[in-house]
Amino acid sequence: MRIYHRFPLLFLLPSLAGFLAFNLGPILTSLLLSFVDYDGLRPLTLMTLQENWVGLENYRRLLEDPVFRKAFWNTLFYVGVAVPLEMVLALLLALGLNRPWRGVKVLRTLYLLPTVTSVVAVGLLWRWVLNPTVGPVNLFLRFVGEKLSALWRLLGAEPPALLAWLAREGPGWLSDPNWAMWGVILASVWAGVGLRMLIFLAGLQNINREYLEAASLDGANGLQRFFYVVLPLLSPTVFLNALLAMIGGFQVFGLVYTMTGGGPLDSTNVLMLYLYRKAFGTFPFEMGYASAIAWVLFLILFALTYLQWALRRRWVLEEA
Amino acid sequence: MKKLLGKLWDALVYLLLLLGGLTMLVPFFWMVSTSFKAPGAVFDLPVEVWPRELHLENYQRVLTAVPFGRWYLNSLLVALGLTFLNLTSGAMAGYAFARFRFPGQGALFLLFLATLMIPVHVLIIPLFILMRNLGWVDTYYALILPGLFDAFAIFLMRQHFLQLPRELEEAAIVDGATPWQVYWKVALPLAAPALATLGTFTFLAGWNSFLWPLIVTHSLEMRPLTVGLAVFQNQFSTEWTVLMAGLTLGTLPPILVFLLAQRYFIQGLTLGSLKG
Repeated sequence: MRIYHRFPLLFLLPSLAGFLAFNLGPILTSLLLSFVDYDGLRPLTLMTLQENWVGLENYRRLLEDPVFRKAFWNTLFYVGVAVPLEMVLALLLALGLNRPWRGVKVLRTLYLLPTVTSVVAVGLLWRWVLNPTVGPVNLFLRFVGEKLSALWRLLGAEPPALLAWLAREGPGWLSDPNWAMWGVILASVWAGVGLRMLIFLAGLQNINREYLEAASLDGANGLQRFFYVVLPLLSPTVFLNALLAMIGGFQVFGLVYTMTGGGPLDSTNVLMLYLYRKAFGTFPFEMGYASAIAWVLFLILFALTYLQWALRRRWVLEEA
Repeated sequence: MKKLLGKLWDALVYLLLLLGGLTMLVPFFWMVSTSFKAPGAVFDLPVEVWPRELHLENYQRVLTAVPFGRWYLNSLLVALGLTFLNLTSGAMAGYAFARFRFPGQGALFLLFLATLMIPVHVLIIPLFILMRNLGWVDTYYALILPGLFDAFAIFLMRQHFLQLPRELEEAAIVDGATPWQVYWKVALPLAAPALATLGTFTFLAGWNSFLWPLIVTHSLEMRPLTVGLAVFQNQFSTEWTVLMAGLTLGTLPPILVFLLAQRYFIQGLTLGSLKG
């Protein structure tokens, strides 16, 4: 076996340079910045850092900042709704599309198309799709509302208020603070479900068919096979998929930026958007403060990853 | 009887999957249909599902009112540049970790991998300050060069090189080839499938990237398509037909790449999602 015993300087040079300049350096700088009051205008030197050092002040301010709190809860709400929704839909799709049916490949492609579309395109497109008067979502809801109301009247009853409202106007989506986040969630599920499905499909294809056949022989029906055989064997994939979806969800930015810009009334403001605004969006820039937001977000993601690994050991069935 | 029920159930599932798939297409259909509608008519009720007359002036306007061609070119250059850098440096470093032994190797590899834990939002503020200090804001350097280091690419390529049989490389060494020649002439060509997977994935990630280009470009001419369209939205917020024409043109390349390189892409997507 031949192996070179020396330092491969030539081979590692590009990566090392990139690592030091664009990764390690910025990480350390970011950590320092989170303890500094920095407007982004003065040149960043050791002197600047020293003179404007505020210790934990940025982090303390975060706790009292109502916009940060709002963004925090909004992000949590977004992740808490969009991720489970996406996971359940994706799992159902993967179960359906894991069969050797004709045309299944084409169907998979249909579900994957939004995944390759950029978040910007998805966001701009959905702003139009969710238009309350002429968007297809509300056209459909109004159609359903009208038909059901008509059915109600046919039976000689007054249609309930919900149906009447659907037939008349329907949700205001992005212009309504109560509905805006739901609109963002709808778009994000549309865009993200394909990728989650793909990961589930990969997991399902790893399941040994013999287990399923054995369960069938023992008289297990479809639901029992799913809950007692497929789901336990799929649990590593479920955990991985959920972790990836949550990490992505906490960093949602492009979708919100293009769909609502965080509005109306901060109802869709999320952590990444707030960070961006603080560092680059509104004058005077507060890059130190924004760095503190970045590290809080990092800690959330880190804790999440750690939690998943800890839970995984307990809950996930390891393959023998 | 049980068999018949099973068949019915299968048919129902298939129908639901088909309906769902078609529903996924509705937004795309709406985008294309709107892009051909008369600019003033999109708010008329009842809504036309498909325009009776195709209005091509929306496309004309999007191509002339904003530097759309330039944005397209920028996106292409950035995506290709990132792909090139990523493949070059990733394959070189991956080869180094697969075929060399040197002190501190394990630690360095772990250090590289640890960067996968660091989300990009932690980096962007100092990275922007760095670009400003270098005078690179609003240049291709700022858009492309940060892709020089990518732990995921290194990891992927290392795995691939480790799986390659060594005999061919050994034969080249016996013939007196230098490590670089062995890498360039023997190992790299054998890594073509891994490069294709990594390449399609990086290209699409580059084409669709948004946050970093938004921060680091300021002039209209340096925007890539994603940022251009997002900014364009503010300028033409009422001209939905024109915006949809722009979106139609903008979503075409990734969908084409996807349909053409679906196999590599799906591999890349599954692997890339592990990047987190």
